[in-house]
Amino acid sequence: MLSRLFTGYCLIVYAFLLAPIFVVVAASFNAGNFLTFPPQGLSLRWYVVFFENEVFMRAIRTSLWVAALTACISTVIGTAAAIYAVRHAGRMKDTVRVAMLAPLLLPEVLTAIALLFFFYAVGMGTRTMAGMVIGHVVITLPFVFMNVVASLESFDPALDLAARSLGAGRYARFRRIMLPLIKPGVIGGALFAFIISFDTFTISFLLKGIGTSTLPIQLFDYLRTNFTPEAAAVSSVSIAMTIAVVVVIEKVLGLRIHRF
Amino acid sequence: MTEVRISHLTKSFGAGPVVDALSLTIGHGEFVSLLGPSGCGKTTTLRMIAGFEDADSGVIAFDGSDVSRVPAEKRDIGMVFQNYALFPHMTVAQNLAFGLEMRKIPAAEIRTRIARVLDMVQLGTMTERYPSQLSGGQQQRVALARAIVIEPRILLLDEPLANLDAKLREEMRVFIRDIQRRVGITTVYVTHDQAEALSMSDRVVVMFGGRIAQTGAPADIYDRPATRQVAGFVGQVNVIEGVVETASGEGGHVRLPFGTIEAPRIGAATPGARVALALRPEAVSLVPPAGAGWQGRVVSRHYGGNLVDYRVAMADGTVIHAQTFPTTQFEPGAEVGVHADAARLWPLGD
Ligand SMILES: Nc1ncnc2c1ncn2[C@@H]1O[C@H](COP(=O)(O)OP(=O)(O)OP(=O)(O)O)[C@@H](O)[C@H]1O
Ligand SMILES: [Mg+2]
Repeated sequence: MLSRLFTGYCLIVYAFLLAPIFVVVAASFNAGNFLTFPPQGLSLRWYVVFFENEVFMRAIRTSLWVAALTACISTVIGTAAAIYAVRHAGRMKDTVRVAMLAPLLLPEVLTAIALLFFFYAVGMGTRTMAGMVIGHVVITLPFVFMNVVASLESFDPALDLAARSLGAGRYARFRRIMLPLIKPGVIGGALFAFIISFDTFTISFLLKGIGTSTLPIQLFDYLRTNFTPEAAAVSSVSIAMTIAVVVVIEKVLGLRIHRF
Repeated sequence: MTEVRISHLTKSFGAGPVVDALSLTIGHGEFVSLLGPSGCGKTTTLRMIAGFEDADSGVIAFDGSDVSRVPAEKRDIGMVFQNYALFPHMTVAQNLAFGLEMRKIPAAEIRTRIARVLDMVQLGTMTERYPSQLSGGQQQRVALARAIVIEPRILLLDEPLANLDAKLREEMRVFIRDIQRRVGITTVYVTHDQAEALSMSDRVVVMFGGRIAQTGAPADIYDRPATRQVAGFVGQVNVIEGVVETASGEGGHVRLPFGTIEAPRIGAATPGARVALALRPEAVSLVPPAGAGWQGRVVSRHYGGNLVDYRVAMADGTVIHAQTFPTTQFEPGAEVGVHADAARLWPLGD
């Protein structure tokens, strides 16, 4: 009885979470000229329009690049910071932790404005995409950090000592012992960083380089003047890409993690 | 084989030394146990030998060369940890190969060495298992195999049997000692279990509060404990105190609160001085009450299978602990004659 209730509860939660996605995806197959639900007839015409739209195509490439770059940088910095916090910070551990999570506590707009002032103050401005990538790294860092810290907490320090006693230097111990064991956390963190960067709007909007645009910004721009199902097609592709990233990484790297 | 010489080793973590001017030499191929209560600095000493911890002062030398500045990964030691510390993402074979790969040993030789050592620990068929697929005892043997496959100069073990059940623990004692003899490796074994230390070691080092209280062969430690603390920690003991009445040679006639005894050794005590004598419970036997000798009354009896444990109250209230074979038994409350094997009396220092 209780388990039946629980199943029902889960279904409602899922429905609540997935319904908007379903509506958007359904609306993207609309044959009509306006963004409506239920769709008027089925067609892929808005996908064709989207894929032929050079502006959107450029935006999506930018988004992918920025997300990939952000994920790489954030993962390296976040992992290093997590290792320092858990293994070496000693009494400073809590201080380091709070500092690393600080970007989560600030509204994104504030972080973005602060960075904007900073970039202009140091004469860097927003001529290039560097500023936006830095912004994305700042907001995604806490997620990488938290994920890696979580897997480091279950890493037995005796393993490191055992490897030392067996003659392994610093690098070999990291590569062969620690990294494989914290890999779930590192990959999880990288995934978070990628997806958050790919989806984020506020910080990109304020820090984007002149003349460049990410997919969410381009979509926002588009929706200010148009209301066609093309917007739904853009969203659907964006959703599909996010899911693809999760699935691919889980398949390629994830399986080996769970071997033991 | 390697000789380990430790001199005046000191280490503190903030308040007071945890290891205090400890000096000890472990001979080629010798099996030495560090025995002591929790917190006495055994693990810290072992970690300093391994190189995981720097000493505040003092010298550790392997075969005469100071290794204080040599990092752990270059000391060529094999270590077995209490929780085994097997690499969970590697198979048994990969765990064993790790140390050999670090030494750049050719793959073919790695395979033969792993096969030989796994044979020795009787795990030849388990090469492809992951640690999580092994029982505690098997994991323990893999940990031992991983430490010896690299043919280290010294083998260090930190309470390796603490997580095993009693039966397995006794089997592993014999097993580890047997392998240590076959490989002939200098070994330091940390334990707080006196039975383990006594049954396995060539020499036992008893530690209290970061200092060595006594070093000696197991029988020395047990039969001739240096202090009350050692006597009390290594096995059970009655400490009976009396006054020396007359001395003759090494021994003397001692007056106790509940009788007298002819002690074959009284240490440095002279007539008129107090002396504390250690008397192991198994050196005390109970007999039907007779007119002469010590008399007492059985307070409690605990049946232990091979031995029966008695507490006997003497005339002045002193309680003597006796362990006897279960052939004749006395009921609690019974009057008994108490007979001490005087040859087993040993005078204690402070
Ligand atoms: N890294 C450390 N920082 C602070 N104190 C420590 C540290 N390591 C050990 N100590 C302290 O040093 C003392 C000795 O510790 P050690 O681990 O050597 O004891 P032990 O004899 O191995 O005890 P046990 O039988 O419980 O393992 C203890 O009081 C412990 O609290
Ligand atoms: Mg210890």
